[in-house]
Amino acid sequence: MTDPQDTSVTGFRIRFLLAAAAWAVLVAAVLVAVPLAFAGRLPDPLATHWGPSGRPDGSMAFAAFVLFTVALWAVVAGIGAGVAARGRTPVRRASRAWFCAGLAWAGAFTVVTQAFTIAANLDRGHWTRAAGLSWQVAVVVAAPIALGALGWLAGRRGPDVPSGPPQRGPLIDLDPGKRPVWVSTATAPWATRLALVALATAVALAGAALSGLFGGGWGAVVPLALVGVVGLAVSSVSVRVVPEALTVSVGPLRWPSRRVRLDHVEQAWVEERYPAQVGGWGYRGLPGRATIMIRGGECLVVRYTSGGRLAITVDDAETGAALLNALIARQQPSVER
Amino acid sequence: MLLTLDLNDPRPLHEQVAAAIRRAIGAGDIAPGDRLPPARDLAHALGVNANTVLRSLRDLRDEGLLEFRRGRGVSVLRRPDGRAALRTRARDLLEEAARYGLTADDVVALIKDLSEEMA
Repeated sequence: MTDPQDTSVTGFRIRFLLAAAAWAVLVAAVLVAVPLAFAGRLPDPLATHWGPSGRPDGSMAFAAFVLFTVALWAVVAGIGAGVAARGRTPVRRASRAWFCAGLAWAGAFTVVTQAFTIAANLDRGHWTRAAGLSWQVAVVVAAPIALGALGWLAGRRGPDVPSGPPQRGPLIDLDPGKRPVWVSTATAPWATRLALVALATAVALAGAALSGLFGGGWGAVVPLALVGVVGLAVSSVSVRVVPEALTVSVGPLRWPSRRVRLDHVEQAWVEERYPAQVGGWGYRGLPGRATIMIRGGECLVVRYTSGGRLAITVDDAETGAALLNALIARQQPSVER
Repeated sequence: MLLTLDLNDPRPLHEQVAAAIRRAIGAGDIAPGDRLPPARDLAHALGVNANTVLRSLRDLRDEGLLEFRRGRGVSVLRRPDGRAALRTRARDLLEEAARYGLTADDVVALIKDLSEEMA
């Protein structure tokens, strides 16, 4: 890049990284200082989990509690540092805003959760006598969201470097008497296994609950079944390009499936994308800027004539992009022929 | 995997599909050890029945190009040997020649001329 703005953008990137690091250190300091300040007035172990009734039902040793919260925050901050240090997150306004929102939310959530845990245990003598939680739950939900919103606003300040124009890759020679098709897939075997285990557990729990063996299992059936269904959906993707259309389908049943007529596609190219950049696995982002993330790595990106984009992690994306671009070029003989 | 079907090919569909896959393996678009997309996806893209694709895949397995493994799908075992690959291309050449009104003998004569020129 030989942008004249380049130096100012680099300066901004460094300032941004310093600010994010300062927030990470501040949160970590609070997470260590607050429990240590009240250590003398807390029971050991202290209550760390409250049941649906609002009564404490789980405990943890004091040292483990402090270490756990700090380690949790370290993992979040570490992932954040990884995302911010490489890639274009710091210099793209939209991604930077969401990054700040996430970091602010996560920091606030850890601090507020820890604060209420300590307040409930203060001067109680034994963890089973810890105070119940009621309105605090609302604060634990609301306060981090409010701080996340502030983070989002703070993240919107600063420069916005648009992503560079994608290069037009090589085209594939099209023989008029032949019908070219491109088929490719990407799979995440671990997601299939996880989904099958979750589904099997859900079925087993439902069976046990129906037979009256273990009535308490119902609460877990729905979330486990949901994990199973979603896991199966993100376990594989199939992309097919034929001269008329582009079809993207997910899951072992190839449903849901989306077919886009080729005259609605403007251009295709290849990008590298990772789950940490797009926020995890599955369908990520909003329609128009979405990524179907099955596994990190090469991604086929298509831009529609409407301006929207869709990225799909799929093997051999280069060939797919080349075929798409060649088919598009053939459709518009007046342009670049 | 990029496959090309000939729109004027008079052969049965399963042979055309097998030829397209053989061509893709021969051209190195898909290498030994790589997995083929599921037959159902290929069938959908090619606009043919899944059983047709399965039949071509079985034929290619019998030729020793593909390997079927339980739970791992279909993968490429080896590239077609030179003779088989050339056979496919010679077939394409003969078809193209026919489109220009040339017979197989014309093509043979053309190849002889060429090889004499190159010698």
